[in-house]
Amino acid sequence: MRLADLIGGVIVLILGVAAIYFSSQLEYYSEFGPGPGFLPLWVGICITGFAIVLIFNILRKHEKAGAFLKPRTREGFKLLIIIIATFFLLPHLGFSIGFGLFAGLTMRFMGRHRWFVCGLTAVGIAIGIRYVFGHWLSIPLPKGIAGW
Amino acid sequence: MDLLQNLYMGFSISLTPINILYCLAGCFLGQIVGVLPGIGAPTAVALLLPLTFSINPTSAIIMFAGIYYGVAYGGTITSVLINVPGESSTVMTCLDGYQMALKGRAGAALSVAAIGSWIAGTIAVAILMCFAPALANFALRFGPSEFFGLAFMSFGLLTVFGAEEPIKTIISTLIGLLIATIGLDVVSGMPRFTFGMPQLFGGFDFIVMICGIFGLAEVFNSIEEPEEGQLIKEKMRLRDLFLTKAEWVASRWAILRGTIIGFLTGIIPAGGITTASFLAYLAEKRVSRHPEDFGKGAIEGVASPEAANNAASISGFAPLLALGIPGSPTTAVMLAGFMMWGIRPGPLLFQTKPDLVWGLISSKFIGNLILLLMNIFLIPLFVMILRVPYTILMCFIVIFASVGAFTVNNNFFDVWMMLGFGILGYIMRKLSYPIVPLVLALVLGNLAENSIRQALTISGGSFSIFFTRPISVLFIIVGILAYLSPVIRWALKGVRGPKVEVS
Repeated sequence: MRLADLIGGVIVLILGVAAIYFSSQLEYYSEFGPGPGFLPLWVGICITGFAIVLIFNILRKHEKAGAFLKPRTREGFKLLIIIIATFFLLPHLGFSIGFGLFAGLTMRFMGRHRWFVCGLTAVGIAIGIRYVFGHWLSIPLPKGIAGW
Repeated sequence: MDLLQNLYMGFSISLTPINILYCLAGCFLGQIVGVLPGIGAPTAVALLLPLTFSINPTSAIIMFAGIYYGVAYGGTITSVLINVPGESSTVMTCLDGYQMALKGRAGAALSVAAIGSWIAGTIAVAILMCFAPALANFALRFGPSEFFGLAFMSFGLLTVFGAEEPIKTIISTLIGLLIATIGLDVVSGMPRFTFGMPQLFGGFDFIVMICGIFGLAEVFNSIEEPEEGQLIKEKMRLRDLFLTKAEWVASRWAILRGTIIGFLTGIIPAGGITTASFLAYLAEKRVSRHPEDFGKGAIEGVASPEAANNAASISGFAPLLALGIPGSPTTAVMLAGFMMWGIRPGPLLFQTKPDLVWGLISSKFIGNLILLLMNIFLIPLFVMILRVPYTILMCFIVIFASVGAFTVNNNFFDVWMMLGFGILGYIMRKLSYPIVPLVLALVLGNLAENSIRQALTISGGSFSIFFTRPISVLFIIVGILAYLSPVIRWALKGVRGPKVEVS
């Protein structure tokens, strides 16, 4: 966890430095008062300063506090992959079928439910999305190749 | 007299069938969200917000308010019956509520929580009715320097009430402020941090961000650390819900003390309902003649924090409505809702939208009554909801978050951005960077920037404007003290010497 914390601190530091660099290219003070670069520059300076203090504190501490990756982190990654796959397929399948498929796959691979239950849920959710969002709430959701 | 007239107008709005229905829906949803571990009030409001584009703003805000205070009621059920807080605000209820349940007094624990919450909620609404308009009138004197001071103080108070690591709280706030500056500058029209991407000219949409930070991130965190508890399988009869005379005597003052502490904590920007319940529990233990009973099933240990979290959920609306400053993540999300409907909460809201303000305030009387009845008669139903597998709930959260993000601008870019913010929220939680400061900074970022720029323009670039106006200087001093609070605490610890553990 200490290493993860340290990496986090370094990323914050890089963010701070980047904020200083990009905001210094904006106008700091205009004839009407503070310009668009005024606040981001100060925010960047503060982020950098606090990130340095944070990194120093992490390096000074020696206690071990839990692991960053936990036994169930793998489940989270599995879900992330299913979500990314669904988002790639959404423009082609449409929201109803896309998320119906997502629900079915999630229930099968993460909940270990029976295929029949997963299939039934997938169909139910596809119909539910179509009618609740599309008809009842009148939200224009994109349709896929099947016209749904 | 004005107050009674306004209240009459409020009830004429909140008692219309459609608004009663929205209030009922909000309370019911809030109750369910409170019961289900792994989903909180900000997530529920964030996921439903994009779906209310076409609904009347007053009805929608009545529903969201119902969710907010309904959650405080609902979280109690799991705290008492399975020793798992459905909501962070009911953590303290676990300590004595679950012990009462083990002793066969689960009904009394749930009952005192419901009655205490109702009493606290009703008293808090009554005080809010008098306090909020007075606060709004006072805030009419605020100029840019006062508004900047207020935002500065709110960010500082997060350091006091925030997590164990103040530096991470401050970094979280600063990252929120930085994200809030992305997009076209409102004064000069110059693009900032857009890197040539036209999708970023309008900045990140707040709804997209909260759907990711609250919705998706909560799913990832819940998968990794599921909250499981053993449900007490004791059959509860209606008569078990009645309190004995001794229990009522023990809890009545605890409820009142909890109400006062909760109300005061709720009106402080960044105070929040969780802090309120912690403070109320600690205060109750301190004033009790039997502090040794706390943690072993003391009914005051349930009554006081439950009253406090409900009072705070009501009083949290005072800074939101009167100043436009949200006091908690849920009210921050609601502020985004107000903006979505083209309404700017603040001192003028009481004059420009009295129907919305008084409709909302009066609906809280109705909502609290609905929740009291729900908590007496529908407990078995909510216990049944606990048996819904998390996989199904997870699917619903992902679907609602994705649809919500898509509906903002009808494009897939926002859906991907929502996923990005979900991953950001997940990593931040894992590394103990608090989410609340980030969200409050996202909401208040524009107000803070516009105020400081306007103030410095008025003063010709001199920072003395913040220190010559009394209200502004007060806010700035409180803010500075709040930022320095970790240093002050550290210094005091050094003066008192190290703590000696006595076993």
